[in-house]
Amino acid sequence: MKSCRADIGAGGGRADRPVGLRLLDLAERLRAGLFPARFSVWTPYLYLLPATLITGILAIGLVEMAETSLHVLNRATFRLDPAYTTANYTAVFAKPVYLHIMLKTGLAALLVTGFTLLLAFPYAYHLVRTPHHRLRRFLLIALFLPFLLGQVIRAYGWLIVLGKQGLLNAALELIGLGPVSLIYTYSGVVLGLVQYMLPFAVLLLAPALTAIPHEVELASHSLGATPWRTFRHIVLPLARPGLVAAGVVVFTLTVTDFAMPEIMGGGANDFIANAIYDAFFQLSDAGMGAALGIVLTVFASLIVAVAFLLVGVAALGHGAQQKPRVRP
Amino acid sequence: MHSKPRNLRLPRRRFLTSTAATAIAAPYLLRLPRALAQEKPAEIIVRAWGGVWVEALKKGVSDPFTAMTGIEVRHDLTEDNEIRPKIWAAVDQGRMPPIHVNWDTTTNATKSALRGVTEDLGDLANLEGLLPLARPVGLEGWPLVNVYSYAYVLAYSQKAFPERAPESWNAMLDSAFRKRVAMYDDGIGLFAPAQIAGGGRFEDIPDNMEPCWKYFRALKANEPLLGEDPDFTNWFQNHEIDLACTIISNAREARQNGIAVSWTVPREGATLDTDALWIPKGLPENELYWAKQYVNFALSAEAQQVWCNALGLPPVRPGLEPPADLVGDIAYPASEADLDRFLRIPTPVLVEHESSWFEKVNEIMQG
Repeated sequence: MKSCRADIGAGGGRADRPVGLRLLDLAERLRAGLFPARFSVWTPYLYLLPATLITGILAIGLVEMAETSLHVLNRATFRLDPAYTTANYTAVFAKPVYLHIMLKTGLAALLVTGFTLLLAFPYAYHLVRTPHHRLRRFLLIALFLPFLLGQVIRAYGWLIVLGKQGLLNAALELIGLGPVSLIYTYSGVVLGLVQYMLPFAVLLLAPALTAIPHEVELASHSLGATPWRTFRHIVLPLARPGLVAAGVVVFTLTVTDFAMPEIMGGGANDFIANAIYDAFFQLSDAGMGAALGIVLTVFASLIVAVAFLLVGVAALGHGAQQKPRVRP
Repeated sequence: MHSKPRNLRLPRRRFLTSTAATAIAAPYLLRLPRALAQEKPAEIIVRAWGGVWVEALKKGVSDPFTAMTGIEVRHDLTEDNEIRPKIWAAVDQGRMPPIHVNWDTTTNATKSALRGVTEDLGDLANLEGLLPLARPVGLEGWPLVNVYSYAYVLAYSQKAFPERAPESWNAMLDSAFRKRVAMYDDGIGLFAPAQIAGGGRFEDIPDNMEPCWKYFRALKANEPLLGEDPDFTNWFQNHEIDLACTIISNAREARQNGIAVSWTVPREGATLDTDALWIPKGLPENELYWAKQYVNFALSAEAQQVWCNALGLPPVRPGLEPPADLVGDIAYPASEADLDRFLRIPTPVLVEHESSWFEKVNEIMQG
């Protein structure tokens, strides 16, 4: 080792070093010049910089949107009046249609979150616990295949399956049950969204369930707990970070969804995003669209904030799962 | 001056002959000496509606235009409502607009003209000899040109009405057709007949629209499907609906696809409206020139004959032959006098009030 260093120090060795290593040396010297070791305390903040920049750009967009929301449309010129007013917000809360749409959106988000978590939990559990590789592979393929299709194609798929002349109605007619209206309804929108959200929820739950040592469950069984008690007092509390993350993601994606109510709703089951679209594009009223956008952002943020307040932000960290409260 | 195809089923050889003849006539149509001074762009982009609409435009206008000029025409199927704010923003910011020619409803085109984002088309040679319907209302000059008229008919499945056509728009309210009726998602086309079917008078639009809203509330109870142009064709083809307020072209397309669909103008009447072509400001000079030539060609007898016949709509160029299947059709006005049989809400009224009517319909249908 010593002789090797001596060789390098002797001169000829540096030239013999591979190009890759010399480039690395150069990069290291450059880094040391630009970011000396004494600045290392700032390193974590540097890692945060990209996320901060992206959030900052979004915040600028939000500020612009808030500014736009304070102008009403002049229908003589189809431009926004320069005067500032809160008339758009007054209209949002005074018009029953917007309140109704907000309530429908909120209810759908709750239903979709509930149903999705109910379906995703056993799926994710079997995905991480099954000893059979083929079953795990099948579950993964079944999970990712619809993921690759995209929301619009999946929604049209539902129209084919559930339409008046779709597969389901054809089957129902075979057994003497007449055609039923399953699409262009509120429940159709919820059904489509649950199917769309399922992979998101499973993917967020799976790491949390993987982090639960299987031995803990085995210990519970060996101490005489029934499968239900093990699930209720061991698995469920330890899976809380995954459940919270999946719940928040599914809720926020649903509350801001546009395509599913647009395609599956038949025009009469709009969500807030559809109302925003109509304001911007159908009515050419950017002020009203922006006001609705701000209301949606505040609404979704409040719900997420309440969720975090109730379960605690720490629930998202895996540290929270190390203290299961097991009843004797 | 120009040969006219007699019906929609134009033999290919005759089409090619006509195209060649048009190519020969093109220098005169397009004032070639000036055209030579303008560099040709590789393509021009024309916004269009999908389905039968874009097919008709391609066949009647875009393909012959390409054959004449060598300029490719790309059709942008972005919804008319979606392209509008993009054009408005581009013009405001001094950027080049995303399209060269916008095929738009006259009401929307008028809004863009009021905002000052449209080029004047007053120097187009083919404006001469058009029906008065082609001229924009309430605007100075030619910031847009109307290209044909169309009726919002009551389309119906012949299976549901085997004996005779429904006589009133109130058929849409019959509970026997619950969940089997359809209308445009913003209610367009139905305001005037709904006003009358709801017990009101056409003359009371826009001051007293309560009868109209009464009709829409009753219609809401029948749980209608709400959609856009291509939806109606699909719904009829998939037997999802029996009745719809839609433009004749959509019902006709379903019928041409073998579906037993027909249409009528009920006793309350049917709304007549127009579509327009306009060019956004901000194009480079040569592209503006060729965009104008595209619009000019769209107004020619050759283009109007094929384009409008494919759509089943009466053109603004008089003296052309109607499609064979629509001769004598109640929903196809064959002369200027025929236009008076329809309910025509003046464009300025639509421009001022239509948005609030859309909101009202939305309020009723989402309730």
